Amino acid sequence: MIWKTAWKNVWRNKVRSLVVIISVTIGIFGGVFAVAVMNGAIEQRVDAALNEEVSHIHINDPGFRDNYDIQMTIPQLPEIMQTVRSTPGVEAVAPRVIITGMANTATKSVGVQILAIDPEREKEVFRLSETTLPGTGDFFETESRNNLAYIGQDLAKELNIIRYMVDESVLASLRENQVPEAILEKLEPFKGVRFKSEKAFKKEMRSILSAREQKEYGRVIREAAWSFRERSRMTLTFLDRNQVQTGAMFRIAGIYDIKNNMFEMSQVFVKNSDLMNLTGLGPDEVHQLIVRLVDIEETEQVTESLAGQMPGLEVMHWKTLQPDLAMMTDLVQQFYTIFMIVILAALAFGIVNTMLMVVLERTKELGMLTAIGMNKKKVFSMIMLESIFLSMVGGIAGMGVSQLLISATAEKGINFSSYEEGFEAMGYSAHIFPEISPLFFVLVTILIILTGILSSIYPALKALKLDPADALRTE
Amino acid sequence: MKVLEIKNVHKIYNSSEVKVHAVNGITLGFEKGEFAAIVGPSGSGKTTLLNMIGGLDRPTEGEILVDHTNLATLKSTALIDFRMRHIGFVFQSYNLIPVLTARENVEFIMNLQKWNKKKKEQRTFELLKAVGLEDRINSRPSKLSGGQQQRVAVARALASKPKFVLADEPTANLDSKSTETLLEIMEQLNRDEGITFIFSTHDARVMKKARRVITIEDGKVISDQHK
Repeated sequence: MIWKTAWKNVWRNKVRSLVVIISVTIGIFGGVFAVAVMNGAIEQRVDAALNEEVSHIHINDPGFRDNYDIQMTIPQLPEIMQTVRSTPGVEAVAPRVIITGMANTATKSVGVQILAIDPEREKEVFRLSETTLPGTGDFFETESRNNLAYIGQDLAKELNIIRYMVDESVLASLRENQVPEAILEKLEPFKGVRFKSEKAFKKEMRSILSAREQKEYGRVIREAAWSFRERSRMTLTFLDRNQVQTGAMFRIAGIYDIKNNMFEMSQVFVKNSDLMNLTGLGPDEVHQLIVRLVDIEETEQVTESLAGQMPGLEVMHWKTLQPDLAMMTDLVQQFYTIFMIVILAALAFGIVNTMLMVVLERTKELGMLTAIGMNKKKVFSMIMLESIFLSMVGGIAGMGVSQLLISATAEKGINFSSYEEGFEAMGYSAHIFPEISPLFFVLVTILIILTGILSSIYPALKALKLDPADALRTE
Repeated sequence: MKVLEIKNVHKIYNSSEVKVHAVNGITLGFEKGEFAAIVGPSGSGKTTLLNMIGGLDRPTEGEILVDHTNLATLKSTALIDFRMRHIGFVFQSYNLIPVLTARENVEFIMNLQKWNKKKKEQRTFELLKAVGLEDRINSRPSKLSGGQQQRVAVARALASKPKFVLADEPTANLDSKSTETLLEIMEQLNRDEGITFIFSTHDARVMKKARRVITIEDGKVISDQHK
């Protein structure tokens, strides 16, 4: 009866209740959807980091990570590899030689980390090969040719391996991408002109496009005008195991694009078979083993097990290798909870205000209810239920709208292309797929109920303080 | 058999520096089945006395015994429970719950007392029929006239079969026809259910119907006439 009366009381003043409900709906929708976008971005970042940059576990000599000393290889590699492979929970393992060196073209030199890998084994651990830009090469598939390198898009730009040119096909592609004719006309004078670097191309674009046009279409134009200089080469120079400078010419056989500028700029992949002759390291001399697990949830357990089996080596999982990722995954739920609490706290003031008005308007009725025998507990419950119903109706509507929008955007994602450079500088993709766990909705529901309860306490206490005889005298 | 005894009851209000003696040593007794009116000019202490009889206010001095229970000895929660089980209220401005139907308003106290569904429905229908509103059972107060609302209020007051019903100016907002109907219904229920009715009123029509008229002035009983 109390529930039914409280529910009916909510709709006594429809306009007022709807104002509160709509404000709760908007608040919850804003909070949940913002969390879904943030969560989607973080999930994508963690996924990309684990599958393209870090992997789940690294095994190396305990001192290797301090200065990347070429001498610090993993002893007894075949046995260690066998041990790792046979450890429960391990899906794949790949060896790496890691050397610090320079990448040079005729015009530029950049400091890089050279990762000498076994492409077949690397593919079992990483999906970096899937991020190769079409038409730039087939590093992971080519077995017959020597001295091939696989570099990031940003390094390719820096080394002027990527060039820019506007031609008919570029204009047609821009037209397809809904770039206005007025912009295409501005590009006409540059037809056939080849720009050696992104910097030079950007400079020309700035001279013909307004700031707004550049912000809106600059990236699309650069993407379309981009072209890979086939058969590009670069020299990799570094110190061999005897600390003697050495190097060789490598042909670019693939450019990867992983939306992480720092990684793209610094990590150059070559085949270990090519580098062995230059470094002087033997086939069983590698610096690092990277491990992929069957289930990421078993990270700590498997790391502990591996560390126990190879006491002379350093075994580290991704959470210690990339504490920022670990922090994001571990603390993100707490951050979301705090975010929602702040939103609900703001909404709670609106609910308190409404419920105070309710108590004030119904003084006489509350006096009558106490007079005829409704005890304090029941009066308190009724006011509290009204407050919970107000919050819950708005909360459910807000969660419903959020879920609809999350579902609508989950497949195609939300493209923040205007801010792509900024996102990629931080290692995030600008194309975000909002995502949220069902558990978060449970958490939000609990928070909404708590908000309803807390918002009702002060108005309900006011109602309890009413003297029935005085309340009945009010008009 | 006395259902209500008022023994030398005083009520003094201390407002700032002035003491107001609203009820000044009233002693009264009410038998089961009485149909009594407490009358007197405004400010004579009728409502204060009624509030104390109904346990809504506590006397400064004296005792109010309902079926031998001294209301002054009951704690706040126990007093609310006592009111729910033993005292029915009818107010001047009906005071029905506007979001509930006539049936739900009558059932409200029975729900508080956790009556079973069948017994509750039977009692509700019986009462609404007695007040002539069996065809308006699902109407909300806003769809009922003032007289009809007050009849629902009477049905609600009787729902839990109280020891007595206190009616504070029940006809003050009603036209003469509605007043006539209401008084007839209350008189009938008083006879059929044997429940004591105590009115506080100015209304001559109520005084005429009442079988006992108690006149109060300046907080004291100045006459107590049985017809």
